[in-house]
Amino acid sequence: MLEYAWLIPVFPFLAFILIGLLPKKTLWWEDGGAYAIGGAVGAFAISMLVIWDVLNGETMVGDQVQTTTWLVIGDEVTVTFGIYVDQLTAVMLAVISVVGTLVVIYSGGYMHEEGVGRRRYYAEIMLFISVMYGLVLSSNYLQMFIFWELVGLCSYLLIGFWYAKPSAASAAKRAFIVTRVGDIMFMAGLIILFNHVGNLDFATLFANAGQDTNAHFESDPNMLTLATALIFGGAIGKSAQFPLHEWLPDAMEGPTTVSALIHAATMVKAGVYLTARTYPLLILTPDTLMFVAIIGGVTAILAATVALAATDIKRVLAYSTISQLGYMILGLGAGGYLVIHSQSSGGYTAAMLHLMNHGFFKALLFLCAGSVIHAVGTNDMRLMGGLRKKMPITSITMLIGAIAIGGIPPLSGFWSKDEVLSAVYHSGEFDFAFLVLWALGVATAFLTAFYMFRMWFMTFSGTPRSEVHSHESPRIMTVPLMILAGLAMVSGFALFIGEGFKKFLQDSLSLSDINLLAPGEPAEVASEIFADPLTYLSLGVAIVGILIAYRIYYLPGFDRAVFARGVPGTFQRALENRWYISKFYDDFAYKVWYGFSLVADRFDRYVIDGIVNGFAYLGAKSGNVMRKGQSGDVRRYTSLVVVGIVLLILFMVYLMPWLRGQEPWLGGWP
Amino acid sequence: MIPIEYWVIFSSLLFAIGAYGVLTRKNAIVVLMSIEIMLNAANINLVAFSSYHVTLHGTSDASGQAFALFSIAIAAAEVAVGLAIILSVYRRYQTIDVDKINILRW
Repeated sequence: MLEYAWLIPVFPFLAFILIGLLPKKTLWWEDGGAYAIGGAVGAFAISMLVIWDVLNGETMVGDQVQTTTWLVIGDEVTVTFGIYVDQLTAVMLAVISVVGTLVVIYSGGYMHEEGVGRRRYYAEIMLFISVMYGLVLSSNYLQMFIFWELVGLCSYLLIGFWYAKPSAASAAKRAFIVTRVGDIMFMAGLIILFNHVGNLDFATLFANAGQDTNAHFESDPNMLTLATALIFGGAIGKSAQFPLHEWLPDAMEGPTTVSALIHAATMVKAGVYLTARTYPLLILTPDTLMFVAIIGGVTAILAATVALAATDIKRVLAYSTISQLGYMILGLGAGGYLVIHSQSSGGYTAAMLHLMNHGFFKALLFLCAGSVIHAVGTNDMRLMGGLRKKMPITSITMLIGAIAIGGIPPLSGFWSKDEVLSAVYHSGEFDFAFLVLWALGVATAFLTAFYMFRMWFMTFSGTPRSEVHSHESPRIMTVPLMILAGLAMVSGFALFIGEGFKKFLQDSLSLSDINLLAPGEPAEVASEIFADPLTYLSLGVAIVGILIAYRIYYLPGFDRAVFARGVPGTFQRALENRWYISKFYDDFAYKVWYGFSLVADRFDRYVIDGIVNGFAYLGAKSGNVMRKGQSGDVRRYTSLVVVGIVLLILFMVYLMPWLRGQEPWLGGWP
Repeated sequence: MIPIEYWVIFSSLLFAIGAYGVLTRKNAIVVLMSIEIMLNAANINLVAFSSYHVTLHGTSDASGQAFALFSIAIAAAEVAVGLAIILSVYRRYQTIDVDKINILRW
């Protein structure tokens, strides 16, 4: 089946074309929803077959990559389009196909009241799914970059789905512009790579554990560090890492299905995927790995703290997403040190397992939030409460999601989070900084459990805090919730199925000839997890977090006003203002950049335009003077011609030879 | 054999006479005639230098004479066109005084 992997993006793309172009009457169910589900399911089916092949050990890497030539420049540069399938691709395909299909089905209920807007919605969602598949199947960086930009475009279109609302329109622009900062860094990194290596194919760059690429950088090793750091810059933008993370909470202005699919499960994972894909180059540059890990750790704790004070249910989830993405990035950064120093792929596999688990449980949480918003018509948790009785399925599935992300065994989040923390802790042997980052990670685990249960208690427990009419969502929405809840419960067991997730994913590094020790058998992995006291530490902090949330937000009698006074009050306000980072960007944009723009505007208007208009004015004026010479008097013209010719003859005959110090023509001076 | 200088002096005199006519006369027909004189000065030059070629190199070169013939033919056409223009100018403005015909200006 692998040779048909190129069909995966084709199905959703066909759906996109059909929904966009068919006459309105032939759109059938939900203004194109039928085609969307068809496209998503088709891609899902082929993805599953491809994943099955990969599970059986088949891959398309190195020489086997299917390529077609796109551009030939001179004799040396050939740019190809191709399909690259390895274990890493398979993990991404699993997340995209499962979440994508379920979200499209769920949209059938969630977007039901949108009316004609649904056609645009389904077309854009299908385009997104198609290019997202394209991104993970790309066989070189340039192709990946093209799809990278296309998913950014779809993100922009879907955040601004309700474009008539000013906040949605500006959130869309913000997301587009902020991620563009990262994209430019990505592109700069690619230009450096291309300059030195002359090729952007994964097969060429990663061959021989990246040593061939390294050889091109021999004269200038720092350039490779710069290139990888810049490529990671793309991930900072796309995966909403500090300091470019502020677009993601604003992106919640889009429909909740979009938040679930694009801004939780798939597109924001593209940055993590890029970092993981670049691993053979990253392990050549430990400085970049350290940078990656620090960015990840700082993002994780920073976003988790902001989630504590958010009152918008989707923003809680958005900050949680940023925080969990920080976890993955931290795991990848620390994992690189493990690959370098102890030939272990622990961090890499842990981060990617967390990516998969997070894809399921965060999509679940978002879709549950969507179900709640669909029912009560508001995002504000302060207006919810007491929904457990009215929405039993949503409340239970959301509880499962919260437990999963909180890190309670045996649900999925526990396994991957524990693996990430353990990898970071072990890389502390090689650099002290990782121990600090590990402490941040443990603190984040505590905060995650706390704010997730705060959200759940505020939404579902107690008594209703506003007069909203609520009801359970239709079955088309609850069935995807239940499927995702099932996956959120069991996806962590991937560690123990067959040879285990670690062995499976490690092969994607081994294919690039990176020397790695084989990970333990699943039974050993399990005993390692439960023999390690650190496991109980991270589990302990998660339980404490849940209990504190239970005390504050569930049991009566706790006076939450203490958070508003004194030192906690200062913190509270800082968190509500997102650590003032967003405000800083706004102020920077308004005061500094706007001022600069004003100066530039003046310069443009008075200096640039002044020069251009000045020349035009000069031309007009001088023309006015010169045209007086055109008298229309033929005899005057003639006499001027005669005088001119006489002067020219005198010049040729006498003046020129005189200037050159020669004898004049026609024999001597007169 | 008349020396080449004579021919050159003759043709420059002819040219100067023609130019003087163009510059001083108002009547468009006389101006046209003066232009013909200048043209013939050039023709004389062409023919003179064609024969001077024999004196210089000992071989003959007829291209000067050929050019002169072309020039005469073109002059005939030019006179036809020039007189036609003068005729239609006269029909329109009732004058052929070149000082009065100065509408082609700013």
